[in-house]
Amino acid sequence: MYSVSQIIGLLCLVLGTVFSMLGILGLLRLPDVYARLHATGKVSGLGAVFLLAAAIFLTPLSAGKGLVLIGLLLLTTPAVSHAIASAAYRIGIPIKAGQRDELRKRLPKIKPHE
Amino acid sequence: MTALIHYSVWGALIIHIGMVLICVWRVWRGENIIDRLIGLDVTTTLTLAILVLIAILEENSLFIDVSLGLATLSAIASVALAKYVADQRMF
Amino acid sequence: MGPRNSAIQMTILLAIVYLLMTANFEPINLAFSLIIGLGISSLVRPQHLSIQWRRLPIALAAIAGYLIYMLVDMWKSSLQVGRILLDPRLPIKPGIINIHSGSESEMAIALSAHAISLTPGELVVEMDDQGEMYAHCLDISQAEELIAEAQKVRRSFLNQIFE
Repeated sequence: MYSVSQIIGLLCLVLGTVFSMLGILGLLRLPDVYARLHATGKVSGLGAVFLLAAAIFLTPLSAGKGLVLIGLLLLTTPAVSHAIASAAYRIGIPIKAGQRDELRKRLPKIKPHE
Repeated sequence: MTALIHYSVWGALIIHIGMVLICVWRVWRGENIIDRLIGLDVTTTLTLAILVLIAILEENSLFIDVSLGLATLSAIASVALAKYVADQRMF
Repeated sequence: MGPRNSAIQMTILLAIVYLLMTANFEPINLAFSLIIGLGISSLVRPQHLSIQWRRLPIALAAIAGYLIYMLVDMWKSSLQVGRILLDPRLPIKPGIINIHSGSESEMAIALSAHAISLTPGELVVEMDDQGEMYAHCLDISQAEELIAEAQKVRRSFLNQIFE
């Protein structure tokens, strides 16, 4: 019969796979670069975190490493998203259907190109 | 490990490998350079997930060490490539 | 309080991380972790981190509360983005808005930018050293009140940590 940690691990495995699939769906469906970063950075990162939690619950030997890796992922994922978004704004990639842009006043030299 | 967990880990592995194929296609045929960079970043995240799933299947924590190294290198590489795209020079 | 003190703090932190990774608490591994931590902290110039021991329990409780708040926020953020993605009409109204972080120290500004990148549908695009942040939002129509509210909660946590 299943133990409690196996049930929690199985739940984390299913949730992680679902979040990874949502991230890829966002990569395919969303219209421009900035909106895609929302989907890939956060949702796929959360999917990897849930898979690591499943590894901690299902195999007894890797709890410390898994916790260190979860901390590392939670620290670095927003930094990578911010770096890519900043680079996209600097080289002038426009926001599709953007309704307001308050950063334009601060960096007026950068012209978005179509 | 019981049969249900074994088969669901295999299913998750197959789904993740399919998603890696989609991301590699995205890197190959991206709209612009930032799009390809995002595809590369997601590819490394999914490779990390595949390594974790293999660690569950083999019950061997060596694969989690490998994914730790991969996570560190991919974060540094993504930030460096984004800086290179923005400034047109590396340092 | 000097450079030697902060080097000792960094050595102990690195040794704890190494012990967590190897999961081996024999004396020889303990000594080896201290040697590795000493080597790394002599290569890197350690940041000065002032700890007031009397306030440590309050700060630790605030850090734990901040972590739990951040995890709940990340869960809600992913659910919201997932709901937008599964909607066939794709209801997004993107835009970039200005947020004032309201903190002075560099660490607090960096932490609140990190937390904003994890909350529902926001992503920091640009920030400067006066604490002004420019965030890209998926839905700007209701984003401003949500951001102001969440920023108030986060600022109270951060003030408790960095007081």
